[in-house]
Amino acid sequence: MAVKQFLHSKDLKALALSLPGALFIIFFLFIPLATIVVYSFWRTESYTMIADWNLNNYLTILTTKTYLTFLFRSLSMSLAVSFISLIYSWPVAYYIAKYGGRYRLILTMLTAAPFFTGILLRVTAMQQILGPIGVVNMFLSNIGLKPLHLLMYSHYATGLGLIYLWIPFMVLAIYLSLLTFDFKLLDAAMINGASPLRAFWEVTLPLNWIGTCIGLALVFIPTFAATITPKFLGGVNGALYGNILAHQFGSTGTWALGSAMGVLMFTISSLFVFIVFKTVNLNRSGYTGKIAGE
Amino acid sequence: MSKTTNQKSDSQKNTPATDTTMTRRTVLKKGALGAAVLATASVGPWVRTSHSAQLELRWLGWEHYNVKKLTSEFEKKYNCKVSAGFFDGNSECYNKLRAGGTKDFDLFMADGFWPRLYFKQGLSQATDYAKLPNIKGCFPSFLPPNYNLLKEENGTGMVAAPNCWGGYGISYNKDKIAKEDAETIYCLFNPKFKGHLSTSARFEENIALAGILVCYRMGTINKPRPDGKSFNPYVLTDVELAGCKKLLIQQKPLLVTRWNDEDTLERLFRAQVAWASPEWSGIYRRIEFDRLDGKSKLNFAHVLKPKEGGLGWVDTWGITAGVKDSEKLELCHKWINYRLKKENMVYVAKEIGWAPTVDVRDMLPERYVRTLFLNQTDSIKDLYQFDAPSSPEKWERVWSEVEAA
Repeated sequence: MAVKQFLHSKDLKALALSLPGALFIIFFLFIPLATIVVYSFWRTESYTMIADWNLNNYLTILTTKTYLTFLFRSLSMSLAVSFISLIYSWPVAYYIAKYGGRYRLILTMLTAAPFFTGILLRVTAMQQILGPIGVVNMFLSNIGLKPLHLLMYSHYATGLGLIYLWIPFMVLAIYLSLLTFDFKLLDAAMINGASPLRAFWEVTLPLNWIGTCIGLALVFIPTFAATITPKFLGGVNGALYGNILAHQFGSTGTWALGSAMGVLMFTISSLFVFIVFKTVNLNRSGYTGKIAGE
Repeated sequence: MSKTTNQKSDSQKNTPATDTTMTRRTVLKKGALGAAVLATASVGPWVRTSHSAQLELRWLGWEHYNVKKLTSEFEKKYNCKVSAGFFDGNSECYNKLRAGGTKDFDLFMADGFWPRLYFKQGLSQATDYAKLPNIKGCFPSFLPPNYNLLKEENGTGMVAAPNCWGGYGISYNKDKIAKEDAETIYCLFNPKFKGHLSTSARFEENIALAGILVCYRMGTINKPRPDGKSFNPYVLTDVELAGCKKLLIQQKPLLVTRWNDEDTLERLFRAQVAWASPEWSGIYRRIEFDRLDGKSKLNFAHVLKPKEGGLGWVDTWGITAGVKDSEKLELCHKWINYRLKKENMVYVAKEIGWAPTVDVRDMLPERYVRTLFLNQTDSIKDLYQFDAPSSPEKWERVWSEVEAA
């Protein structure tokens, strides 16, 4: 009887609906992650994994200046790229949501237009723009000016490339949040004496903070793990944490150290997401009382 | 009465003896049964004869050797399917094969000392030269007793068959760098050319080239080595590695960039942003041909062997240990032999731009013979062959420290 009740219960339906998602997470996140965690406690010797349990890999990456340098480079790059993307994306998303009218969808699609091509193609295009023989420097040379060295194979070039790559995610996340935002609330704030800046700071931003947080996570995490962009645009000093991590699995075959680096990367990314979402006030954020499409 | 019930009644009229009504459940049951039978039959060994089954040959190698014309001709000739997987460097191939790749690939490509390593590790099996009649066309420089790396280290079996060869010398702009400056590895570390040098992003060859220079300067290059063998830039002592690290860190401000693909190097050369870089000579050849054709005024040369010594390679075809079936083994040999055919080697030389190990000088225009160094095949014995770093862990640390500096 109890079984029959269960079979017809909402619990079973909920379970059935959650099963594909759960299986996906188990097979494509937990199992690979568990493997990486196990490997991170082993060691590698001449391309061979040896199950010799130890903490040396973690000690190496957390105490050696070399690996900490890469970690610091990547963290500062990710924070800078996320912050600049945030500053740039808000006006864009705001404009589309408020003034886009019937062109909103087209404008949003245009934001995502670079995604119609592959990442390698986009990075190569950036190389053609920023490189020593790129459009910018060729133009400067033609008008008799010196080429801009900071654009050629540098951290700035990597930063620009990463902003260009991930900004559509930030714009999209904020735009989707603004779609359900009731702009009349701003009129109310201003009627009550708030300046436009204060109205934005105290009404618009807090009520769309969840969308902003999603955007931050969507930019920070891929930037932190970036390999292709710094590889092609970064130059001699451009290697980031992701490059050195990829190096362990590709060329040097030091998988155990690479696994420990991967675990650290996952932990930092998770920590970032946790901290950002801790700032969300569920009583205010994301719900404006307006129904989508109204 | 529902429509379904009516239909059932009608069908009952026509089938008095047994109930053959087609309900949704029976359709599904029969459909599933039928599908199962079909699926079993299609994979069952009794359905196909071995004669009609098409063999698949899977090779793992450098992408530029994936020549569609040659592949499709071979497929037609031997009624088989050829598929390819690619890697960037030997260590990547080695890692792939070690991680179970011997079951996924029948043939692999490797150069320098790597074929011997594969064989020693049980990742590959012997290549039967008796089944390769085209091997007789090879330059003697690439066969024992002149070149022994394709032979088992402590035996007589052949571990792979030669394909193409070359060096990892220095290509340079003759209008910017004097010949005497270019004929030394120091050229790549010379502050005189600051901002106009470039190297590849390959960590092994960067350290190995620096290693030759360091050992040459330290005088250890011609002295007895700790392992009792002759000098190998991939087997360096800790002191020599420390010297390499110092040199590579000093080199960083002199470099425009470390290129990841040859097209980037070509752009840098053509724009005269980079004046010198180690490379496999392919870019030098393209620029030189353009000069000969009057398309470019750039004047480039390539130093195959700098005065301190240089790196070289003979890339090869080997058969993985995963090939057990005699028919497949036969096909592997046919593939190697087919690739060694003179006409195919000429095609590779012209279309891909790599120097064949088969003597096709009489079939190639002079410009190819000269720029592919086909009259200097003997120099292969003076070039240190590509190898695996003696300690990947130590080399990884050195490279990471250089990158972080």
